[in-house]
Amino acid sequence: MVTPEPLADRRARWAVMRAIVAKDLIAVRRAKAVVIPMLAVPILLMVLLPFGVGLAARSQQNPDVGRILGSMPGDLAEPILSLPDHEQLIVLVNGYLLAPLFLIVPLMVSAVLAADAFAGEKERKTLESLLHLPIPERDLFLAKLASAFIPAIAVSWIGFAAFCLVANGVAWPVMHRVFVPTQLWMVMIFWVGPAVATLGLAVMVRVSARTKTAQEANQLGGAVILPLIFLSVGQSSGLLLVTLPIALGIGAAVWVIALLLVRGGLKRFTRDQLAARV
Amino acid sequence: MPAVIEAEDLTRSFPSGVALDGLSLSVDRGEVLALLGPNGAGKTTTVRLLNGILRADRGRATVLGLDPAVDGDGVRRRTGVLTEHAGLDERLTARENLELTARMRGIDRTVAARRTTDLLERFGMADRADLPVQGTSTGQRKRLALARALLHDPDVLFLDEPTSGLDPAATRDVVELIGALASEHGRTVVLCTHFLGEAGRLADRMAVLHRGVLHAFGRPEDIAADLWDGLDARLDVGGQLGEDAARAVLGLPGVAGVAPLPEGAMVRVADREVLPVVVRTLVEAGVPVYGADARPPSLEDVYFAVEARIAATEGREVTPRAADLLGHRDGGW
Repeated sequence: MVTPEPLADRRARWAVMRAIVAKDLIAVRRAKAVVIPMLAVPILLMVLLPFGVGLAARSQQNPDVGRILGSMPGDLAEPILSLPDHEQLIVLVNGYLLAPLFLIVPLMVSAVLAADAFAGEKERKTLESLLHLPIPERDLFLAKLASAFIPAIAVSWIGFAAFCLVANGVAWPVMHRVFVPTQLWMVMIFWVGPAVATLGLAVMVRVSARTKTAQEANQLGGAVILPLIFLSVGQSSGLLLVTLPIALGIGAAVWVIALLLVRGGLKRFTRDQLAARV
Repeated sequence: MPAVIEAEDLTRSFPSGVALDGLSLSVDRGEVLALLGPNGAGKTTTVRLLNGILRADRGRATVLGLDPAVDGDGVRRRTGVLTEHAGLDERLTARENLELTARMRGIDRTVAARRTTDLLERFGMADRADLPVQGTSTGQRKRLALARALLHDPDVLFLDEPTSGLDPAATRDVVELIGALASEHGRTVVLCTHFLGEAGRLADRMAVLHRGVLHAFGRPEDIAADLWDGLDARLDVGGQLGEDAARAVLGLPGVAGVAPLPEGAMVRVADREVLPVVVRTLVEAGVPVYGADARPPSLEDVYFAVEARIAATEGREVTPRAADLLGHRDGGW
């Protein structure tokens, strides 16, 4: 018979996990080498690029996007072709073609931070004292996942909010309406993005536990993460052209894979394995 | 006195070889045990096994009545560890390091803050409390790490090389702190070190490890009794002892040997009671005795003698210090 954990114990364990996450977040916030690329890349991809592209698209007189739209499979181009001509380019670029960037950002940030989760602690010689604390292995693993997941999602969502402001702002003279986010954008940002981030960090935390330095973890994990990035880039524009149920289904599939990887990591994660490599 | 730590046949291997091979020992409540041995002797592995962060391949242990392999978190809740590297996050301040560790130990936020402030005061770090650890000296880091090990007032302290990398003044500070901590509330301390001075000052018993094998375990005087018969007494007669006087001393009951020294002689006596008879005999023979000192061998003497015995068993060259000790006590009479 499984006895449910008393509420007080569960609260105490949550408090411990929150403390681990708080420690990691403070440390990340103070590491310029991590913060600068973590903010610079999203600012470039989610703010400056849509702004520049929007301005360029806006200045085009009667742009011909028929060739691009014609190369899209089946009736995927239909939602764009149904728009007035002067709106097509800006919607195509800022509404569809930039979509891949929104999966790259959470994947990249979570992977970088997850690589540091255990390998970074080893490098800084702080891992052993962490292992000597009375924290259940499961909680330690999950807290380390959360330490990478929270900033990745925060950067991604804040970046998306900024993108919406910029994309709509720059397109206003042409569109005279808010065109992002659409329902499909919301699904991608709030459902598929976190799933992709979880997938990346589930891989990277496991790699991080087996390597000695964060750099080594990044190199080894990159072999898995890079194909994931290419896959995301390839598929995410298409995600905005499918129906809502299909997009939700794709997100669910990514979540299932990510959570299976997390569960696998939890099963294999032991103090002994980490301490033997310190 | 009840044993707080018990290990029986504790064994652990890594791909690189056997780190600990059949360790059996016990540590009593309130005792300071010095785990001695060169690098790679198995000291750190012992601590990791006793605190349940490594699993033994063979054997078992209990710490405070709990099996670290079964209830590691239970053990860790009642033990504090100072790792060889202080293990502080350099990006955090001294206060953040302590306070967040307390919270990671499950201590309530308010209590954690209060305890942190108290410990920073006690360890003389209050003025650096809100500065990043990055700029602090090795000695200050060790003090902070010691403070961190005490956040939850543990019953057992594992101290792994607490003075490595410290200058003499910082070493003295840390040794004094450890001495004070060991005498508090019957706290048990396991001190891993290869610095014999601090071990000699602090330890009640010693365990000598070499390549994962325990070669000696007990009070220094008991180990010494196994190594040598009797006590060495240094006699100062203001110059080398004459042959007639040496023969007279050697003829006394309880005297096992006499060896010349520049200032007098080294006399091996069965126990301290023989020494006054030696002094009286010399004085009656007209030899002035300026000093007579019968001291039990120090922990350092015992350690080097054990090391020498290990080296001899392994057919290795004996270090000059060990050779001197062995020769002095065993062969130079």
